[in-house]
Amino acid sequence: MDRKLDSMVDAAGLPRRDFLKVGLGLSLAVTLAGALPGCSGGTKAPAPDLAFLQPGDVALFSAIIPVVVLDLGTRSTAEQQQLLRQTLANIDGTCAGLDAHSRGELRKLFDLLAIGTLRYVLTGVGRWNEASSEQLEAFLERWRASRFATLNAGGNVLVRLVAGSYYVIPATFASVGYPGPLEAMFKAVNA
Amino acid sequence: MSFPDLYTEGIASGWKVIDAARLTGARTLEADVAIIGSGAGGGVAAEILSQAGLKVLLIEEGPLKTSADFKDMQEARAYRELYQGGGPGKATSDGAITILQGRSVGGSTTVNWTSSFRTPEPTLQHWAAEREVTGHSVEQMKPWFDQMEQRLNVAPWGTAPNANNSVLQRGCDKLGWESHVIPRNVKGCWNSGYCGFGCPVNAKQSMLVSTIPAALKNGATLVHRLRVRELQHANDQITAAIGDALNAKDGSTPTGVSVTIRARHFVAAGGALNTPALLLRSKLPDPNQRLGKRTLIHPVVLATAVMPERIEAFYGAPQSIASDHFQWKNGATGAMGYKLEVPPIFPGIGSAVFNLYGRELQQGMADFPHANAVLALLRDGFVPQSEGGSVRLGDDGNPVLDYDISDYVWDGVKRAWLSMAELQFAAGAKAVRVAHLDAAAYTSWADAKKAIPALALKKFRTTLFTAHLMGGCAMSQNAQRGVVDSQGAHHQIANLSVLDGSVFPTSIGANPQLSIYALTAQNATALAQRLRG
Repeated sequence: MDRKLDSMVDAAGLPRRDFLKVGLGLSLAVTLAGALPGCSGGTKAPAPDLAFLQPGDVALFSAIIPVVVLDLGTRSTAEQQQLLRQTLANIDGTCAGLDAHSRGELRKLFDLLAIGTLRYVLTGVGRWNEASSEQLEAFLERWRASRFATLNAGGNVLVRLVAGSYYVIPATFASVGYPGPLEAMFKAVNA
Repeated sequence: MSFPDLYTEGIASGWKVIDAARLTGARTLEADVAIIGSGAGGGVAAEILSQAGLKVLLIEEGPLKTSADFKDMQEARAYRELYQGGGPGKATSDGAITILQGRSVGGSTTVNWTSSFRTPEPTLQHWAAEREVTGHSVEQMKPWFDQMEQRLNVAPWGTAPNANNSVLQRGCDKLGWESHVIPRNVKGCWNSGYCGFGCPVNAKQSMLVSTIPAALKNGATLVHRLRVRELQHANDQITAAIGDALNAKDGSTPTGVSVTIRARHFVAAGGALNTPALLLRSKLPDPNQRLGKRTLIHPVVLATAVMPERIEAFYGAPQSIASDHFQWKNGATGAMGYKLEVPPIFPGIGSAVFNLYGRELQQGMADFPHANAVLALLRDGFVPQSEGGSVRLGDDGNPVLDYDISDYVWDGVKRAWLSMAELQFAAGAKAVRVAHLDAAAYTSWADAKKAIPALALKKFRTTLFTAHLMGGCAMSQNAQRGVVDSQGAHHQIANLSVLDGSVFPTSIGANPQLSIYALTAQNATALAQRLRG
């Protein structure tokens, strides 16, 4: 996988030297994104009702949420839409609540994934809303298996944001065998 | 049964509590002592200084959230309202180490898991012998531990451990490893497990329900949603603190209202990230460049197990058993020591810790009620190969923590993984997975023992956490080695003390809350005498 990614990076004529400066986390990806025209970074408006996620980020997460949490696919269409909306809102809330430095790093990652050509090179995905679950899984797998720390970091943060934002929703508790707040105490304090 | 809200009643009876978000114009507040930060250090300092008859102003950047706000017992609300950066989203500068730190009145004491250990004797001995610290020997600290244990009702947990903690106890027993019952700061505890989301029955004796109400009864003023931007100074004296009121909507955007605080003495108690950041923003003298250096974090690594029995690691006192078997094995300065404990596991943070997706996550979550997790707190800062990290200022003036993992620490990580897996299998685990991207779910100790040493010791492949932020304003009698002296007095600024976990010259080697309480009680008592003298 890694070798394939390396050759794709080479073929795209991207500054491979920058890729090798591992250990700087997402700042690397930023360097890369900053070098490309059209990567304006953080100047676009958030999507309606959201504080941080832009329309392109919503497309990314809408695509990967069902691949990360298979539980979503076991539910009715109406439930799926509701859970998807809540998960996106939770991801948005987490991102918006971070300090400026962390928000900046995430913005760089999301911008990187929003640029068509670069996204295709780095993820193998053309448009998020047209990607198959196999393509999306391959993207996550490749990033997490990569020897580039930046891609590991990106793969981790996407998976964790999605899983954590999904399983804090009370409607998902039963699916994991969590009965919810300890009943006796919950009743007593809410009496 | 009803659970009265301390603050609703207290404010009605005349407690002085100001929500800075609601101020409509600039203000000047005056006091004998202004304390910046209301966590373990600020809370204890507020009670002791107000008890001494001093007029105290206690300032908190986060919101005032009380038991009435904790009744939903939900993770999502807690992370959003009570933690820095929304809980598990906050991390070191490179994103490699997740930081869990409180951010509301009471600081991390509002959300911690109640483990209350005395500072280990070898740690205190190391400070005296190696870091030029005086006045905090084992004998000198004893009365302060006694006092704070009594004040906060600290006692070894008297109820049977929950199943998650039982795994740790059983594993240690089978292997002949040391383990002990954890002392907890609780009174009338329901054994529910929801300490991390704010105690809804005020059983946890956090600063929110103990020292801060006592200080308010003594006439202190609490100002919340006020971020102190800067300590103004002239001629080695702080002349004023300037704060920005934060809005109620997101809790972090300034409303535009600024508050000027004048006091005879200032106490920095924002913890190991925010105190160094405040001093850095204020450009206080730092002739030896010690400010923000040697930030210690007890790097945490984890292993999760699937047990044959139901564990329900979400219910029951979250931490009641610990093991120091590997803590001092090699002395204070040998190969890295670590303390073994368990974390509670709720679906949100649990799924994020699993760091799996697709079929593997689905399987992991299907086994959720059977999940046990063990964590190792690595004791950093005792040898030159473990100097900790450093705090610098981000573009917005907030602290950013750089923390690299040295080979010495990685060696500790690897040994800790092996210990945890061995322990979990000894306790009967069906499968164990250490929190690493390349780790499989091992089904026997033999498999784990073979596979774990081959895991790449790299950031991002390894899941790393911290919930214990220490250092960055280290105490030392030698001004070249510390920001403050052993009593917390700033080496260069006459009317500034630091009374929080940032003064620790090494990590503690145990959950630090009681260490902060006792050291602060001792140093705040000395400060009260000095200010009244």
